Amino acid sequence: MSDSKDNPDTYPALGRMLLWVDKPGSANKIFWALAVVCGLLFLADFAFEKHGYFDVEHLPGFFGAYGFIMFTGLILAAKGLRVLIKRPEDYYGDKAVDREEYPEAELEKVDYDA
Amino acid sequence: MMLDQIPTAYLFFAAAIVLLALPKGPLRAGLLLIVPVIAAWQIWTMPLGMHYAVPLFGFELELMRVDKLARVFGLIFSLAAFLGNLYAWHVRDTVQQVAALLYAGSAIGAVFAGDLITLFFYWEGTAIASVFLIWARRTEGAFHTGMRYLIIQIGSGVILLAGVALVYRDTGSIVFETMTLGSLGTWLIFLSFGIKAAFPLLHNWLQDSYPAATITGTVILSAFTTKLAIYALARGFAGTEILIYIGVVMAVFPIFFAEIENDLRRVLAYSLNNQLGFMVVGIGIGSEMALNGTAAHAFAHILYKALLFMSVGAVMYRTGTSKASELGGLYRTMPKTAMFCLVGAASISAFPLFSGFVTKSIILDEAASGGMFVVWLALVFASAGVLSHSGIKIPFFMFFAHDSGKRPKEAPTHMLLAMGLTAALCIAIGVYPAPLYALLPFEVDFTPYTTSHVVGQLQLLLFALLAFGVLMRTGIHPPEVRAINLDTDWTYRWLLPRIIRKVAAVVSGVWTGTLGFLSRRVGDIIAGLYHSHGPEGRMASVWPTGSMVIWISVLLGATLIVSFFS
Repeated sequence: MSDSKDNPDTYPALGRMLLWVDKPGSANKIFWALAVVCGLLFLADFAFEKHGYFDVEHLPGFFGAYGFIMFTGLILAAKGLRVLIKRPEDYYGDKAVDREEYPEAELEKVDYDA
Repeated sequence: MMLDQIPTAYLFFAAAIVLLALPKGPLRAGLLLIVPVIAAWQIWTMPLGMHYAVPLFGFELELMRVDKLARVFGLIFSLAAFLGNLYAWHVRDTVQQVAALLYAGSAIGAVFAGDLITLFFYWEGTAIASVFLIWARRTEGAFHTGMRYLIIQIGSGVILLAGVALVYRDTGSIVFETMTLGSLGTWLIFLSFGIKAAFPLLHNWLQDSYPAATITGTVILSAFTTKLAIYALARGFAGTEILIYIGVVMAVFPIFFAEIENDLRRVLAYSLNNQLGFMVVGIGIGSEMALNGTAAHAFAHILYKALLFMSVGAVMYRTGTSKASELGGLYRTMPKTAMFCLVGAASISAFPLFSGFVTKSIILDEAASGGMFVVWLALVFASAGVLSHSGIKIPFFMFFAHDSGKRPKEAPTHMLLAMGLTAALCIAIGVYPAPLYALLPFEVDFTPYTTSHVVGQLQLLLFALLAFGVLMRTGIHPPEVRAINLDTDWTYRWLLPRIIRKVAAVVSGVWTGTLGFLSRRVGDIIAGLYHSHGPEGRMASVWPTGSMVIWISVLLGATLIVSFFS
């Protein structure tokens, strides 16, 4: 599929616009922009009176810190879980959907430039 | 008007018969689109109340109980059937078309069932109709998966029937109304609902079967069965405290599995399970607003979950796979699908201005106002978890991340149309929730867009996103690899067959041993007799020469005597 014919100029217009995300350095820009937005959101907590049912909700940046920590914890825990429960795709034998190709007749595999 | 005289479910059943008379092609696909529209219109215009009572063996079956709770589910089921059938416009498979109609009809019939016996019939109807959406894949793996699915679904129905019988014996009533857990009968009904709602440890039929269905079948499957169970729980067990804890576990545990699953349709099945958890918590709290939250969340959830299944399905339709390890970088040539997927991802993650935000926050708010701190904390964590798999993993590893080199064509027009409509609804609900709130079973007194809510939610989501960025940059985030993960299906797909094989080996050993022993004993006896009575035996030497003639004459004599006396 991917060969020398692959010509970004023939992608759909929307796809061409999005190509920016794969330019070198773009990922960095996105990351730091996100970090700045997060910083602003943290500062926003001081700008209004918070309404919440629990005391912790009134701590500045509570939701941000909770989101960051729990997300990281979730990923680490999931990594640990994978060590325990990961198995090869043919674990349940070859008569399982995980080992089968989806029936070609039901598909319409077409390349964009076909 | 004639239409008032027909239970909504029958519209779908009648259409299934009409469908067979139509030629394959746009006419059939058109019928599949018109029926849900008529059904929705009928539900919308029907006044609240009981509309269709049928006597059956001394019972009064209520086929059409319309109240606000049933109506909102009936409407979203009709809408889901319409969108799913639009997405499946290209399908020419009669089996799938008929199954889609019967399935949607059964689900809607169950929602309007006013008594438990009617509920049972439709409950089983959804099981039987839906399995054909799995079998329609027509592979051996799908056949086996469908069998497992059917056994569990039918099992749920049988347990329901047993519960109904016991409840009837206890109370003398079959009306489907709020029950209190206590008797065996109510527990059985609760268990039956719990199986279909994919309670923890009863959940794995969901993740097992949805990735095995056809591309369009999964979109349709995702809407009905589990949400029917949510409706049934909301109707039958609102305010049952144990549901709060079941719901919390349900919202939390699937996010770990979803994070490491490779098949994106299975990721979505885990994610579906997690979303059901939020709804179950709402039912457990049981206040009017909490039930509103559950109904609203079910409504929004059916749409964004269908949208996500549609986008993964569209990619599968073009590439043949839904495995994250094989995909990536598809935004280049499937940008519209990518955008729709992002809308679904934002909706399920509950970003402000998207549908999940205005519905999930009702449930969270009810948990918080009830002072349930741990429950609330767990649900907020589960919200961050939703972002991790449905919000990030699905769009990121399918459309962005590393370039898989695949350059598939954009999804076909009818799929784009279905996705576009669904995406528009997700945004519309998020931006302007008032019409949805007006549909809910009880008066809504809730403002989703307060500064606290919006900033808090944005902080939660964007900081989690930042954590994702950090984990990706440091290489800690687990890569997508071709593998499967064990879940409770291990017990009946791996353990049970092996136990049965072991038991079978022991039983057959005992059997052949006993049989061998007995046949040796019998052989010995025969040999002994032969030795003494056989031609060469000692006894043979004293036999009268004409013993055969003697015995024949004895027999002849006996015959004569018998015929003489008879």
